[in-house]
Amino acid sequence: MMHLGLSLSPFGHHPAAWRQPGAMRQALDFGQLAAQVQKAEEGALDFVLLGDAPARRPCVDLPPQTTPFEPTTLVAALATRVKKIGFVVTAGSAQHELYNLARRFASLDLISQGRIGWNLVASGPTISWNKEYVAVVTALWGSWDADAFVYDKSAGRFFEPNKMRVLEHRGEHFTVRGPLNVNPSSQGKPLIAQALTAETFDFVAHSTELLLVTNASQEAGRGMVIEARQLLASQGRDPAEVRSLANVVPWIGATRAEAWNRFHQINELSSQESLESRQGYDVIGTATDIADALQESFERGEFDGFTILPPIAPVDLHAFVDCVVPELRRRGLFRAHYEGAALRHHLSLKPSRRPAR
Amino acid sequence: MAGGHHIAAWRHPEAYARAGVDIHHFISLTQIAERAHMDMVFFEDAAAIRERNPRLASQAARSTSFEPLSLLAALAVNTSRIGLVATASTTYNEPYGLARTFASLDQLSGGRAGWNLVTSASELEAENFVSSGLRPHAQRYARAEEFADVALALWNGVDAGAYIVDGVKGIYADPTKLHPVNHDGAHFSVHGLLDSQRSPQGRPLMVQAGASDAGMNLAARTADVVFSAAQTLAEAQAFYTEIKSRLAQFGRGPDDLKIMPGLSPIVGATVREARAKYDALQALIPDEVGVALLASYLSIKSLTDHPLDGPLPDMPPNAGIQSRQQLIIDLGRRENLSIRQLARHFAGARGHWQVIGTPSQIADEMESRFSSGGADGFNIMPPLFPGGLEDFVTLVIPELRRRGLFRIDYEGTTLRENLGLRPLTR
Repeated sequence: MMHLGLSLSPFGHHPAAWRQPGAMRQALDFGQLAAQVQKAEEGALDFVLLGDAPARRPCVDLPPQTTPFEPTTLVAALATRVKKIGFVVTAGSAQHELYNLARRFASLDLISQGRIGWNLVASGPTISWNKEYVAVVTALWGSWDADAFVYDKSAGRFFEPNKMRVLEHRGEHFTVRGPLNVNPSSQGKPLIAQALTAETFDFVAHSTELLLVTNASQEAGRGMVIEARQLLASQGRDPAEVRSLANVVPWIGATRAEAWNRFHQINELSSQESLESRQGYDVIGTATDIADALQESFERGEFDGFTILPPIAPVDLHAFVDCVVPELRRRGLFRAHYEGAALRHHLSLKPSRRPAR
Repeated sequence: MAGGHHIAAWRHPEAYARAGVDIHHFISLTQIAERAHMDMVFFEDAAAIRERNPRLASQAARSTSFEPLSLLAALAVNTSRIGLVATASTTYNEPYGLARTFASLDQLSGGRAGWNLVTSASELEAENFVSSGLRPHAQRYARAEEFADVALALWNGVDAGAYIVDGVKGIYADPTKLHPVNHDGAHFSVHGLLDSQRSPQGRPLMVQAGASDAGMNLAARTADVVFSAAQTLAEAQAFYTEIKSRLAQFGRGPDDLKIMPGLSPIVGATVREARAKYDALQALIPDEVGVALLASYLSIKSLTDHPLDGPLPDMPPNAGIQSRQQLIIDLGRRENLSIRQLARHFAGARGHWQVIGTPSQIADEMESRFSSGGADGFNIMPPLFPGGLEDFVTLVIPELRRRGLFRIDYEGTTLRENLGLRPLTR
């Protein structure tokens, strides 16, 4: 079964999306962002990806993924507006104190009832620093056995003390006593996603469960996934326990000519420079053409699915959910409705619980 | 929050055991407070489990909780008028990230967010962040002063309407309305701008609760609201006068800062009923938990070497919370209480002022402190949720309204307006 995510963008992922005639500044309002998330849930998509570009808000340009909100808190608000769809949220390791980040994401996983993933940006100073950071965050998420909280009023026992793990971590870069002061969620731990790039390549084998392939070339992305799977296997991880989703920018038209027209028209509004910094590959045509392209790419085996980057939002999101998703369903490639409640379930990953003892 | 402010609330037959992990419970409590037109909800915090001993920790519902800023975001979009205040540490955060997050929460709530600035006095918190242990009080406050300045400068760096998003002209922001921060200080180097519009209330509300000399100075310079813990009217008045008298040296007037002591009301139709509610909760406190909590408020390792029915031992000052420590020692001496009695007394409301009685008795006490220079308002800490909050809202608030002491409807849309604070202008 194909997996599908939506990368959220107020105006759309094309660099000139906010300059489209009819683009309204209300697109930046919470209500409009929530409406996009609700539309993605209507299509039973696996997750919504919240990107981040902290401190990048130039006066004349608008990075497509940014919203006026800080993503690791915005997601809590969005999660209360939908019931099933998961969220993958971007946060840099250098931006958050380790304990705070572990706690924020565990809390988000509780607020959303097990629907959270962390899109890890390893922004710390060195690889060894980042690896220790992620290892300790993961260990903090394992502070509690699945059956630790018993809420036994008469015995006065809120949790079983022998089911709590005090970390007492003293490493090269971090000292963290633990335990995490947040209950585990129904999926056990938030899952960890990471963009697959030349810079992150060695790091992803370490802890990532969801690889986000951001190449503008489909072939290059495919090549990276093949190499990443070899790397995972060489490090003793089962490549089948990692999902690889390619970023796709779908240009959908009632006819091919219409789709190509839209593509050309908006490119005229953009500088060459901004077009080269794109984060996925274009597929252009009718809903059937898009479904064909996704099916062909999916069936080659490297990609477990796709993160959809609507070039213009919300119109291309609506077109994708209303026209492409039903076509994928007719072909038996995508779920008709959610089968579970947790993000790990949507992505066919095992729950990551510290087992009951 | 969660099950209730009483330490043993979660054991009460009416308590919802899973309160702490149910976001809908928090949303519903906040909506109850909003329907009653209360000014704000407030979340205290610790970035650590609060008790070192696993056996003691396992008896307390406060050992785990939602992380407050993510909680605030969830509440912001499920309420429309009530203020939302959460605690965050200047010792274990960086100013850009925290200022950005509060600006975002303020935007998300339409100008209803507030930051309770703390410097984190607990060793258990320190052990989750640094290898060098708890930093001395003075060092934490020096960092907090600079942290607050950077946050204020970042919030003030964006004028109203700075981000115009004019796609036709291709202009995202009006550069004349952006004032990038260029800060190089002893603790932080911050150069940049926030990516949110200016807050509808100018900036997030600044709240503090430190009552040490350094804490009061920081509050007098930067806070809009101060939370306090005062047992008696005299203590409340002394604290009130002290903070307000410090405002002038920072060019501020007495109305620029509101003082809101904590109050745990135990409401009954009769005194007997209120007392019975209190006794039922007190009976649920294990001595072990109460004594350990007392020790932690006193910032000492343990009291178990001393007889429970004897008085508190003499204690030297230390790096932890200094003001609350004195409050406890004073009460013990004044009322000649044993360790066990003090422990029960403090464990219940966790050091805050407790009033047990009928709606009119509680309103009398509140009115007395409000009208005699002890408080500008109160931070209500219901012992049990939702019952304790519903009691306050349905029984005490109508009585306060009859006396003309509490609003019938919200005055404005922002937290700042509802608190009657002067608008901020750039």
